[in-house]
Amino acid sequence: MMTNPFTCDDKATLVAYMYGEVDAAVRNSVEAHLARCAACAAEVTALGDVRSELGLWVPPDVELGFTIVRKADQPAATVLRPAQWWRTVPAWAQAAAAVLVMAAGLGIANVQVRSGPDGLTVSTGWMTPASAPVPAPSNDTEWKTALVSLEEQLRTEIRSARDQQTPALRVSAPAVTDDAVLRRVQQLLAASEERQSRELATRLTQLNADMNLQRRADLMRIQQSFAQYGDQMMQQRQMLNNVIRVSAGGQQ
Amino acid sequence: MVATDEELVARSRDGDVDSFNQLVLRWERPIYALAYRVIGRDEDARDVAQETFLRAFRALPGFKGQAKFSSWLYRIALNLCRDWIRRKKRTPVVDMPDGVDVIELAAEQGPVESIEDLVARQEMSRIVADGMKLLPEEQRTAIVLKEYHGLTFQEIADLQGCPLSTVKTRLYQGLTVLRRHLESQGMTKFESDK
Repeated sequence: MMTNPFTCDDKATLVAYMYGEVDAAVRNSVEAHLARCAACAAEVTALGDVRSELGLWVPPDVELGFTIVRKADQPAATVLRPAQWWRTVPAWAQAAAAVLVMAAGLGIANVQVRSGPDGLTVSTGWMTPASAPVPAPSNDTEWKTALVSLEEQLRTEIRSARDQQTPALRVSAPAVTDDAVLRRVQQLLAASEERQSRELATRLTQLNADMNLQRRADLMRIQQSFAQYGDQMMQQRQMLNNVIRVSAGGQQ
Repeated sequence: MVATDEELVARSRDGDVDSFNQLVLRWERPIYALAYRVIGRDEDARDVAQETFLRAFRALPGFKGQAKFSSWLYRIALNLCRDWIRRKKRTPVVDMPDGVDVIELAAEQGPVESIEDLVARQEMSRIVADGMKLLPEEQRTAIVLKEYHGLTFQEIADLQGCPLSTVKTRLYQGLTVLRRHLESQGMTKFESDK
């Protein structure tokens, strides 16, 4: 294929030649033209100088260090976020709490469950609180065991009521008095409150510790920044002094 | 063995944040330098660079590899630069803290270069930066992409959304304006005289 001879006004091709983005035929055509056209040759030289001088423009050497961080990946000490302590409570405890809330509701409404000849009788109404002292469970395991036991007893009661057509089964089930059930519920409620208080105190202490750690880390960062800026300022001042000294010396 | 951009992109798309951070580490300086030379302000260039990577991270699921990752980043960064220029409605400003530049140049040149040479280079750098400031945004961007990032005419045309011939014209016109500016400042043939 024939290549048209290069002409002075074809600046697009001239630029492409300068950056080496032409094929061999075009390059030969441009070089042949430059050999006999002083103006174009001078222009290529001058633009080449401009390109060299562009290399003098250097961006500041700044610290960048961008990082994408997922929130979940951040260490606890560096993140201030509301503690969602309820997420750490085991499932069994959440279920037990639900039972206790129900039990508390029953207690507040003073629901009485009595078994009689007509089966289970449910009634509500205010009455004097039970005077029996309520001993707190000594630990969580005991509390959990008691809760499971109460649940089992309640299930048994309900099964008994449902199967009242089969007296043999009713007899075989252990008899549980209303007072006993009420006492158990009150014990479990007290234990639950104590447990929640302990949990809350633990979480508050942890949150406080996290905040203190965060504050200390922030203070340290600020101190480091001040120190760094101080060093930079000192360097710049020394350099400036050198420049002033040299230029003063040059003038003398 | 160093992973390619494509491999890191694939891993990032599978949810590997560390792989994306490797891409950030690899490209943060070129993207910052591009933003700095186009908009001319250190702080704003940092913001643009940071926003570029944030947008890229968010848009990664939609990046199907139809272009090079770097071209895609350049496009995001240039769009942000254009937004910045439009929003601020001002020409780029070149801010080069004098002391910092001298120190940087000293570090680059080592102990053999005299203070006079350093100061002269700093002055020349300022003159070049001032000349770039004179150019329309399209010409300046074309020169930056070609001179400092080594993109081909075709890649620049794709990024700027214009024909190939327009890119060459922008480069020629931009270089010619710079040539006049440098001549007016007595800076011609600095390199060839050395």
